[in-house]
Amino acid sequence: MAEQRWINAVRGFDPEMAGKQAECDGGGPVVGTRLASRQEFSGVLSGEYMDHGDPPWRWYLMVDLQRKPAGYEQDSVWCESNSIFLV
Amino acid sequence: MTKDPLHTKFCEMMGIEFPILAFTHCKDVVSAVVNAGGFAVLGEAMNTPEVIAADIKWIREKVGDKPFGVDLVLPSTAPPAADLNELLAGIPQSHRDFAAEIKKKYEIPDPKEEVDLHQWGGLNQEISRAQLDVILEERAPVFVSGLGSPAFIVEAAHERGIKVFGLVGKTRQAQREIKAGVDVIIAQGYDAAGHTGPIGTFSIVPEVVAIAGDTPVIAAGGITSGRHLAAALCLGAAGVWTGTLWLASRESDSDMIIKEKLLAAHSDSTVYSTCVSGFPMRITKCAWTKEWSRPDAPRPLGSPYQMLLSADYIQAANDHRREDLMMEAFGQGASFVTSMKPARQIVFDMVEEALATFEDLTGDDE
Repeated sequence: MAEQRWINAVRGFDPEMAGKQAECDGGGPVVGTRLASRQEFSGVLSGEYMDHGDPPWRWYLMVDLQRKPAGYEQDSVWCESNSIFLV
Repeated sequence: MTKDPLHTKFCEMMGIEFPILAFTHCKDVVSAVVNAGGFAVLGEAMNTPEVIAADIKWIREKVGDKPFGVDLVLPSTAPPAADLNELLAGIPQSHRDFAAEIKKKYEIPDPKEEVDLHQWGGLNQEISRAQLDVILEERAPVFVSGLGSPAFIVEAAHERGIKVFGLVGKTRQAQREIKAGVDVIIAQGYDAAGHTGPIGTFSIVPEVVAIAGDTPVIAAGGITSGRHLAAALCLGAAGVWTGTLWLASRESDSDMIIKEKLLAAHSDSTVYSTCVSGFPMRITKCAWTKEWSRPDAPRPLGSPYQMLLSADYIQAANDHRREDLMMEAFGQGASFVTSMKPARQIVFDMVEEALATFEDLTGDDE
């Protein structure tokens, strides 16, 4: 599982999202650098989520990755809910 | 022409004179552009919440009640935490050897300082959240999400009188953000500097305009002249987002070598390559990009390994101010930046050229 620091986050499970095929647009940091870049993932949503802060910033766990940036070695990633597109 | 073609719905919304948005990391450029009647956005993604708060106050002192924006990068994916030493150990010897060969060939000295690997604390949702909270607390007039969806923060921002702009590289992202209530969409094309998307400015702008309804769309990517501004408005945009244009302005704190590189640049002076960060990125040609484009060069690594590999080179180039080695993110419109002018003059020249372009089109010289 892609572990991250999730301070003050509330974990949960959304059965309606579980098993859904999805793509995630947007981007994120280039690990270990001060740069950010566009990055795209596709995979299956596990249904697990994290709500971070107030107002809640929701993240879903995407697993079984079918598309991920070169060099991304993990098989899961947390995706911001508004950047997820069900396909 | 009876109607001022430059007075767009974006101007109406923001109460400004000209539909020109400057994106910059320099506060002096922000105040100069805003006070000249345009709109400016300060890139703060690499700064701490304390610095962001201080910058907002500084700009307010310089521009009074005129609106300006603060830009952050919101991650939409959260990679796992990583140990730097483990990452460095993952760089293959073949790539280390190639980087060493470049260093020897160009007689690149060691960096003066310990390589900081361009760390910024590893942007993650915790840091982004803290940066966002400052923007809400300080009630910056506009929050711009330069990457990632700002949808979750729109309501909280609006409650505080803050407008929210979202920059997108795909139409479906624009659709999602408009539905969430963002005030302005910035549609960025491939011509732009840095980590830009694969869709051209001339394609993405009208496509986003077609689905935007009443939400103003701002065109971004390769825009550096009044002709570009006129063209963007013809595509249906309500303004233009410009970055490279301000790097050589008098107020810009860019290194003089970078300013001179920009003045000498043309549309073929950049490359779109993965050789710096591991992701496609538009950047000026330099010794590093030249060597990695050789047919016998190894294939650039993925992220983050390629960035870690290029960090020594970048820092040495900057520390020693080697013109042949230094690189910067320029857009493809660089050829239209031909002199080092005050930002105010850049705004006025752009407006004048755009108006002249419309007059040429309509045959109206009044």
